Amino acid sequence: MRSIPVADQRSGSGMGDAAMARARSTEDVVVGDEIVRERLSARVVHWIVALTFFVCLFTGLPIWTPYLGFLAHLFGGLHVCRILHPWAGVAFAVASVFMFVQWVSQMKLTKADREFITPKGMLRYFQYRNEDADVGKYNGGQKLLFWAAALGTVGLLITGLVIWFPLEFPQWVREASYLLHDAAFSLFFAMIIGHIYLGTAAEPGTFRSMIRGTVTKSWARLHHPRWYREVTGEKAGG
Amino acid sequence: MTADGLEIRQSSASVWGSATELRNLKVVSKLIDTTTCIGCKACEVACQEWNDLHIVPTTQTGTYQTMPSLDANYWNLIKFREVEESGFFAWLLRKDGCMHCADPGCLKACPAPGAIVQYQNGIVDVNPEACIGCKMCETGCPFDIPRYSAKTDKMAKCTLCVDRVQVGLEPACVKACPTGCLEFGDKAELVAVAKARVEQLKQNGFTQAALYDPPGVGGTTVITVLAHGDHPEWYGLPKDPQVPVAVSLWKNVARPLAALAIAGSFFAMVAHYLSFGPKTPKEGAEKPKGDKPA
Ligand code: HEM
Ligand code: SF4
Repeated sequence: MRSIPVADQRSGSGMGDAAMARARSTEDVVVGDEIVRERLSARVVHWIVALTFFVCLFTGLPIWTPYLGFLAHLFGGLHVCRILHPWAGVAFAVASVFMFVQWVSQMKLTKADREFITPKGMLRYFQYRNEDADVGKYNGGQKLLFWAAALGTVGLLITGLVIWFPLEFPQWVREASYLLHDAAFSLFFAMIIGHIYLGTAAEPGTFRSMIRGTVTKSWARLHHPRWYREVTGEKAGG
Repeated sequence: MTADGLEIRQSSASVWGSATELRNLKVVSKLIDTTTCIGCKACEVACQEWNDLHIVPTTQTGTYQTMPSLDANYWNLIKFREVEESGFFAWLLRKDGCMHCADPGCLKACPAPGAIVQYQNGIVDVNPEACIGCKMCETGCPFDIPRYSAKTDKMAKCTLCVDRVQVGLEPACVKACPTGCLEFGDKAELVAVAKARVEQLKQNGFTQAALYDPPGVGGTTVITVLAHGDHPEWYGLPKDPQVPVAVSLWKNVARPLAALAIAGSFFAMVAHYLSFGPKTPKEGAEKPKGDKPA
């Protein structure tokens, strides 16, 4: 048996990558200088949600406004979008159920989280003035996204079903559904823009938690200090 | 298939029209005088024949009406109604079909570019090739006219025989009407005819006679003389039809607001990145053992 050099564990070269291997089924363990953050199933579910979300978005936007009609060409025209959109919506809703189940136990809002998501707390966070924050595995904003996404998905699903089969519903239900579906998707989209930004450009080192499933120790200590302490057993301030 | 060569005033889900306003095109109209309709249904048959529509089985509902309501293959239906109110009794017949609104809710609600068009002459036409079968027009129409066909996955409704009108003929229903209850011509002229008719009815004791040309939808190309003009609902007509408020709100208010929210999110992201950049460990912060910068 060959022992894996530390350098190889990081680069992910070859077949032996201890961190990725652990990240298939385990979470919150230290492997070398990485910490496993998301197990494989969690990542797969997240990417199915993201993919179906964007299929919904890009098939829905050309139906929403002719200014974005060019997006319909990605799928073969507006007629295809009209067929694809509701089914992608069903897939998105189903995938979201799995995402909800896998994360819900970790997304309970604590008192600290509630402070985090006040306007003052959010300002501190976005101005990078929250180093001392007692942030666990997910911060208040991430938990808020989780719940907002869950609520938004339910809203989109219900109004979406009405729009799919409008003739089965009374006039006022249809009218309300068109309005609410639009309101829900636009807020959802705006929120996901922020989510993607924070998960990539704004916080380097985050994206790999959804690819490799691992993050570096220094990333964990910067963004999720309490989680870092819990996982590594290090003392606060150490 | 829309009529080639006719100028388009507005087109669904389009920021353009082909309106050039070069030509002085008259707005057409069809006048329905409900007081001279004898319910013979010649117009229904003519409509089916001219438009080569599939046969729809009739349904006996205990009245003289051919079927309960319009169909994707039945665009013209004589509605038969009995009204009995405090000793007063009336037998009312009205030809139901697209009103060809000046401000068509169907066109406004439609998300498919060019699936519903309004020509300069006022006719509201549908283009099945562009129709995506979403049924939004059914929610937009205040008169409950467009009908979705599951077989074709398209919407269908009266085209006011635009293919006939285009070559100078009157619509098939008008051609077939034996009593002169239906007339076709320029809107301005027909409104004058209708008004004279209303006056005549008033003199004959129908003091509430009126012309139904509802302003809530900008007026309609199909105008209707009603003996009981104070009760359009007796004829199955809405009292003050409007493009549903929610539909206007959705297209005129919610959509720009949503666009603003989405664009705002983009701009906030760019502004944040330019002002704060990526979040990285503080300069000089002690790194965990064996860790490289993220
Ligand atoms: C291409 C699009 C997307 C990218 C790049 C992306 C990226 C990420 C990343 C990097 C994380 C991990 C954050 C961490 O480890 O702290 C994450 C988590 C998560 N993602 Fe996404 N994501 C995308 C789309 C979506 C969509 C469409 C949804 C919901 C419908 C979604 C819902 C979530 C949730 C609920 C979490 C866990 C909580 C959180 O970290 O905020 N993501 N995403
Ligand atoms: S009556 Fe209905 S279908 Fe006809 S133009 Fe008006 S809104 Fe459109």
